[in-house]
Amino acid sequence: MNNKQSSSNRSVNRRRFVKAAGAAGTVALAGCSGNGDGGDGGGGDDGTDDNDRGGNDGGDTTGTPGQETITLDWAADPRIEQNKDVVLSELRNAGLPEHIELNIIAGSSVTDQRQDQYTQWLNSQRSKPDLLMMDGGWTIPFIVRDQVENLENHLSSDHIDTVNEEYFDSAVSTSKSQDGKLHAIPMWVGLPGMGYRKDLVKEAGYDPDGENWATEGITWEKFSKVVSEVKESNDGIEYGYTFQAADYEGLSCCNFNEFLSSWGGAYFGGNLFGPIGDRPITVNEEPVLNSIRMIRTFIHGEDDSEALDGYAGNIAPEAVLQWNEQNSADPFLNGNAVANRNWPSYIKDASEELGDSLGFMPIPHAVSADEAKYDGRGGPVGALGGWNMTMNPYSEKKEAATEFIKATMADSFHLEAVFKGVGQIPPKPSVLSSEGASEVPEIGRFMDTFRVIGENAVPRPVTAVWPQQSSEISGEVNTTLGQSKSPEDAMSDLESSLKQIEESV
Amino acid sequence: MAQEQTLRHRLAIHRPILNRIERLNETQFAYLLLVPAGLILGVVAIWPLIRTFEMSLHSDALLSPDVIGEFVGLQNYVEVITGQRDSQMGSAFFDPSNPFQSALAVTFIFTLVSVILETIIGFGQALVLDKQFKGRRWARVAIIMPLAVPIVIQGMIFYLMFQPNIGFLTEPLQQIGLFSSAPLAQSFDATVILIVADVWKTSAFMALLILAGLQSIDRNLYNVAKVAGATRWQRFKRITLPLVLPMVLVAMLFRTIQALKVYGLIETIASCNTVPSLSCMVVSTFSNGLYGTSATVAFIIAAIIGITVTGYVWKVGDDAIDT
Repeated sequence: MNNKQSSSNRSVNRRRFVKAAGAAGTVALAGCSGNGDGGDGGGGDDGTDDNDRGGNDGGDTTGTPGQETITLDWAADPRIEQNKDVVLSELRNAGLPEHIELNIIAGSSVTDQRQDQYTQWLNSQRSKPDLLMMDGGWTIPFIVRDQVENLENHLSSDHIDTVNEEYFDSAVSTSKSQDGKLHAIPMWVGLPGMGYRKDLVKEAGYDPDGENWATEGITWEKFSKVVSEVKESNDGIEYGYTFQAADYEGLSCCNFNEFLSSWGGAYFGGNLFGPIGDRPITVNEEPVLNSIRMIRTFIHGEDDSEALDGYAGNIAPEAVLQWNEQNSADPFLNGNAVANRNWPSYIKDASEELGDSLGFMPIPHAVSADEAKYDGRGGPVGALGGWNMTMNPYSEKKEAATEFIKATMADSFHLEAVFKGVGQIPPKPSVLSSEGASEVPEIGRFMDTFRVIGENAVPRPVTAVWPQQSSEISGEVNTTLGQSKSPEDAMSDLESSLKQIEESV
Repeated sequence: MAQEQTLRHRLAIHRPILNRIERLNETQFAYLLLVPAGLILGVVAIWPLIRTFEMSLHSDALLSPDVIGEFVGLQNYVEVITGQRDSQMGSAFFDPSNPFQSALAVTFIFTLVSVILETIIGFGQALVLDKQFKGRRWARVAIIMPLAVPIVIQGMIFYLMFQPNIGFLTEPLQQIGLFSSAPLAQSFDATVILIVADVWKTSAFMALLILAGLQSIDRNLYNVAKVAGATRWQRFKRITLPLVLPMVLVAMLFRTIQALKVYGLIETIASCNTVPSLSCMVVSTFSNGLYGTSATVAFIIAAIIGITVTGYVWKVGDDAIDT
């Protein structure tokens, strides 16, 4: 798919394109760098479509005067678009050359829709967008299909080593091919936690600070009682605990993964990365069933035929069965809920809305790590989400795209753009530990909590068959949470369909 | 001068062909005129169908860079129809014990109920619009308005209506025991809501087609019937119904074809996971890289539509043409 055209033709066409795109809202980076020259790069040479800088790995920041402007199309997150000014200026500070401009294509905030969009683009072997941000939950299926570029062919060994040695392991494992080659660079990680109304909890007589909720978390049993009490004693608050239990990827990858892990259970005996067909299916086990009974108690109360003793009921609305991240965050942001499980970006929003009233802790647990049936489970667990940066293998601007990826790996970019700007957690623990991180106004104060969540994060089961398994899991779990099936029947059915999928490849 | 020579030269070259065309009889000439349309139809409809069928004869290639796997003949069809692929497809293809969670049943239930309701309501609307009364123009606008609403907007309207925390219909309907508090998360409730949404929008389509049929009826027939002492019901039964029936059947055929392909409405109001139609299955398997399976389900839909159309044409085609 190497579309070689006459270079002279292309240079004229490209200049015209850049001008047109600029008029149509293309983001010109030159303005962000203080250079002020947002022009089209002048009469550059008629080189190839990629820039002619040669593979310098140093990321020097000065573009060659008169070098031809290259515009990269970047399929990114809506939050990137919302914070494009800081993102673009930090890219420039991190070494993105002056002659490389960016056109940000903000995709849907719904992960499944982004996946569908990319599938169509890459199946048709389009050369644009040059760069695609992919959910860590479905990067591997694209890697398996050779639909993302092997970055080890473009980045220096230093860059590769940095990712392998300094990034969160769980995030890196979503970015590699079967033979261990890096095809994506983690852009940020999702470390979910529990936001709660600290002011109301204190009014109810609890002492979150004294009991170290922020770093040690609490049990689900205690959590349910706290939420129930606070809800009962505050007439103005309609909801207790809000989370995401709609029939979608977010339930299977994350919310349910957290519930069952917090009970010490696991999807595949803890073996989330395969090999496919050669790992146990462990959904039809007591820890998993108990986690379902617990959620049903939260939603339907003690009257539910599966209700667990000792847990306060009716603390979550039945509406959670239709809610995703945004739906579940809204009541909490409006001061209409006691607690909300969500991702850091929403915690940032909540911090802005609620100020000092906001408390933040790891997701509660039912059993400790020592009592858990599987390694790495129990205690304060959180499903590690996150998004990766990938390069389109059909791109005609791979050198420029490589320069861009290098710039996104800079610590300054992680801290200023990803953490402060977008409100997401950088993929390098060292950035989280830095002084700059704790000084970030909205979420810097929760740094200790994020570190605990990061240390106890449960990876997502990201194999090539995960998208199919995910849909089976979310379907069965949503059904049993809605009382249409018993937990035993749902998990037994799920066990057999997961087994079938494992054996189908 | 030079141009004239060129034209003559060209005519001389094409003369034999033109002569042949002139010698064609009327029927042959009519068929000849249909050739361009046939070619266009072949390119935009038949060829993709053939390609889809060809893809459906290959296995999925989930763990390889190839888009489709090896040739497997009709194995995909056998495995899809017998339910062996259900786990990979996200929902059952056909499970009589759980009809609202199986694609074939959901599709047929949705099609059958919505088309019947749309026909009855559309017929009623057409009869109203056929009458002369004050404000008829406004009544037409009111009836046709939903048809102008794009599917996504229509979907959002119903989605918001049945949201647990903000939907104004959710709580009252729950209190009278009709729906649960999260109706769009329940397959049965969501299917009912989808049918209502579809009927709301497309009854007007039926009404317009039936109205066209009604207005083509010779009014003198009614005058004669009145003179003969026929009651209102007799006039409807003996004149209106038989004369408008071919148009009703054609309208039902159009709606049936559209309903069998339902996807957008489901995705915007509920979700394909809650109400899995056949088209949903095509999209979800395609998204997951199961191209052989996706093509198989797509071809099954095409086959069902093909059989439906053929059945309609055989059953009512002659009647429709005669009228």
